[in-house]
Amino acid sequence: MVIWCCIVLFPIWVLLINSFKTRLTIYTNPFWIPRRWNFDNYRSVLREGDFLTYFKNSLIVVLLSLLLVLIISSFAAFALSNWRGKTSHGLYLFFIAGMMLPIKIASIKLLELVRSLGLLNTIWSLVPIYIAMGLPIGVFVLTEFFREVPHELTEAAIIDGSTYFRVFVTIMLPLVRPALATVAIYNLIPFWNDLWFPLIFINEESQKTLLLGVTRLFGQYQTDWSKVLAVLTLSAIPVLVLYLSMSKQFIKGVTAGAVKG
Amino acid sequence: MPKQRNSITPKGRYWILYLLPALFFYVIFMAWPLLDSLRLGFFTGNTPATRSFIGFGNYVKLFTDETSRTRYWGAFGHTWYFFLINMVAQNCLGMLFAVILTNPTMKGREFYQTVVFIPTTFAVLVTGYLWKLLLNPVWCGDTLVRMHLGFLARPWLGDQSTALTCVALISCWQWMGIPTMMFVAALRNIPEDCIEAADIEGANAWQTFWYVKYPMILPVVGMITILTFVNNFNAFDVVFATENVNGAPSYATDLIGTLFYRIGIAGQHPIGIPDAGMGAAIATITFFVLMAGVVPMLKYTQREA
Amino acid sequence: MCFALFAQGTKESAASATEKVTLTMGSWRTDDVEQMNNLLAAYKKIAPNVDIKFQPTNPPDYNATLRLQLDSHTGPDLMYARSYATGQELFNAGYFADCTDIPGLMTNFTASNLAPWQMPDGRMFAVPFAAVSHAVYYNKDIFAKNGLSIPSTWEEFLSVCDKLQKAGITPLANGVADEWDILECFFLGMVPNFVGGASERVKYESGEKKLNDADFVAAYQAMADVAKYCPKGFESVTYNDSQVLFNTQKAAMFVDGSWTAGVYKDATFQWGVFAIPAPKGRKTAICFHPDMAITMNSATTHPEEAKAFLAWLCTKEGATTASKNLPVGYFPMINFEIKLDDPHANEFLALNAGKETDARFVWPALMDLYAPMNQAVIKVMRGEITAQKAADSVAALKK
Repeated sequence: MVIWCCIVLFPIWVLLINSFKTRLTIYTNPFWIPRRWNFDNYRSVLREGDFLTYFKNSLIVVLLSLLLVLIISSFAAFALSNWRGKTSHGLYLFFIAGMMLPIKIASIKLLELVRSLGLLNTIWSLVPIYIAMGLPIGVFVLTEFFREVPHELTEAAIIDGSTYFRVFVTIMLPLVRPALATVAIYNLIPFWNDLWFPLIFINEESQKTLLLGVTRLFGQYQTDWSKVLAVLTLSAIPVLVLYLSMSKQFIKGVTAGAVKG
Repeated sequence: MPKQRNSITPKGRYWILYLLPALFFYVIFMAWPLLDSLRLGFFTGNTPATRSFIGFGNYVKLFTDETSRTRYWGAFGHTWYFFLINMVAQNCLGMLFAVILTNPTMKGREFYQTVVFIPTTFAVLVTGYLWKLLLNPVWCGDTLVRMHLGFLARPWLGDQSTALTCVALISCWQWMGIPTMMFVAALRNIPEDCIEAADIEGANAWQTFWYVKYPMILPVVGMITILTFVNNFNAFDVVFATENVNGAPSYATDLIGTLFYRIGIAGQHPIGIPDAGMGAAIATITFFVLMAGVVPMLKYTQREA
Repeated sequence: MCFALFAQGTKESAASATEKVTLTMGSWRTDDVEQMNNLLAAYKKIAPNVDIKFQPTNPPDYNATLRLQLDSHTGPDLMYARSYATGQELFNAGYFADCTDIPGLMTNFTASNLAPWQMPDGRMFAVPFAAVSHAVYYNKDIFAKNGLSIPSTWEEFLSVCDKLQKAGITPLANGVADEWDILECFFLGMVPNFVGGASERVKYESGEKKLNDADFVAAYQAMADVAKYCPKGFESVTYNDSQVLFNTQKAAMFVDGSWTAGVYKDATFQWGVFAIPAPKGRKTAICFHPDMAITMNSATTHPEEAKAFLAWLCTKEGATTASKNLPVGYFPMINFEIKLDDPHANEFLALNAGKETDARFVWPALMDLYAPMNQAVIKVMRGEITAQKAADSVAALKK
């Protein structure tokens, strides 16, 4: 375990210290602390107001998409796990088929669709796409976890006079909290780090997401890597924070489930 | 007690309500655009003006034209190899870590878990750059020689025989967090009494794992396998970040994902004229391959409660 | 004459619409944001009601993104156009506007400068904007310290490399990890030396000369010969790494395009450029490659304003302003004499004197051979195949 930690931490160390160097000194001294700490990269990144705008945009898009994915797919998964039958199974396969095709291929159609909805060049164009992207995995994981919950619990509640909906909200959801956290975390990464859709949908500076803004730093032939590393370090922080907060939920839910079981 | 299914379990009509929002987003923003684009597999030409129906022409060309065929089968083989390395390294190690992390005697669990997850939070661009730097003998050679590890100073990413393995391992390094996390969740879900029962029976840790824990988390194992399988066949970013779109060196790291992107979306550098129809054909074939793998896997590992 | 027409153009737009018009310009040059904004600001002084926004896209994604946007009618009003086949295809698809009748276009550029953006029937689909050159960057300090002078033949070049290597300095910074750079900058930069300029190239295109004749084999062999002078582990050296190697003085020379000149602006050492020398007995030729042109979207909602801008670029004033704002290493293609500010840029241009120039060999008509040629060059440098086999493999694919 410790070995693995080293393997993980070492490149991260390299990332961090190199973001404090000037462009060329990264290469003269790739692995050790900079001889002269260069805070310019971080300073210029934070000063150029754009970074904060991009950051805000990414945050809104990602949080909204995640929330909606969780709600919508848990409804769907609940239904699919309880409803036995050919149609149900067919729908299940229909949903997970979405995982197997590269959505990039549908880019033209999606672009036309977004344009006709008037959402082009806004961050709202990204939300429905991300929801659609996150649904297959959400349905896949949550259906499985819902199936794990013993049927007796549900039946007992129904006999007691509760509706399915109440069962859903009060019993099932808390029990699958780890799964919800898992789906959230799993989708968080591609949503936050997605480059493709913001690239083709958004041109307006004020609407760009964080990673899209970063790619501006990539020139055709030359790239200032120390600056890029600074920006990317900063952009990894929110993801990490979101992950930590979600994994707390995760742990809480898990231990709750274990006790009940 | 006989199950009163008809009065308790609602019919399909009720459940459809639950499924409506999901279906709405999914069909409009994914299913329909995808199906429409796959339809392009039967056409040639890039714009509505130049498009013409050629039936299975694209498919035929893919498998008969010399260059197309070499590229496709090359990418296909590489993708399977990539998947295998990921399965073994990423998922087995993930399982191992999860077991370690759920061991109540382990100290500092949360710290390790977070550390394992940190690479996953990075954009692929970053990991690509980092590893390109680390694996480059030009920059690291001197340091390695000083540490008496001179034999490690090879052009790992530039050598056809080692490039794909390296890229696959880099991918594992990055995504290790996800299976670890899921396995931790699954292991924690196992009721305490099962483990206690095994303990009482006198089973040691290894036996407990194989005979008690593993079967109970089989559905999750299946899920992770399926996810790995699907993601690897669409993998593109990691090759793009560490090598280039062509799957350098000499197409040794070309995967189905990069092949698709090169043909269907971006076009060969620097011409940049894609063949949308061919791209759609490749995507459709990939879809069927995936289905052929996923459906049996599902049957094997998921339980019909 | 163009000036009058142009003045009329602005009067027209001023008369018809005194409200502001905003045009978007797409490009793959994310590096040039500052310069382009200067240029566009200068244009704004002439046409105050037209606001042009420069919106570049990350270079590897430019083609794909542009296509998508054009296909779904969300493309920019003005955009950079790639030359030859790539641009022609977009014109055929109806996305680029016909530029032939833009005042000054046909008259102010030489035929060979217009050619890359011209359809086979003579129609123009873009206004040429900038060209690039290829040469050998060399570290003057290192050369002086080792008593070396600029080689005038290819054989002398190899011996210079040899001397440097014996002195413990990496002679060349070039690597093959990114693949395109070794082909576009080195091999194609060198090919005119071995096979001749444009007049010879057409013979290969027509099939009169074979792509695996002695001249070509010699070219591949030359690549094989320099491999040992590239850094150890050059298989992993990326384009970015090469620039750094040269910039940190770890390598003495770098065969590269003129566009990198700006990177070494603050170099701590003296550097210069010399043309890749031809083998003894042959004439040195320069690969001067038309790279960027600007065109307008045929579906733009403001065709007059867009056209006015393009016409401005064809005038002496417009072209001079544009050249002042071109990044170092990009050269104007217009007929007027324009002096550039940067000494290194002038150094590059000076290399063209008295030499035949040509675009990169495969660009005009043999783009399908780009990838196979690229792979052949790389294989030959790694020592996997012989020069003859390399040439044969590419020749076999010519239709």
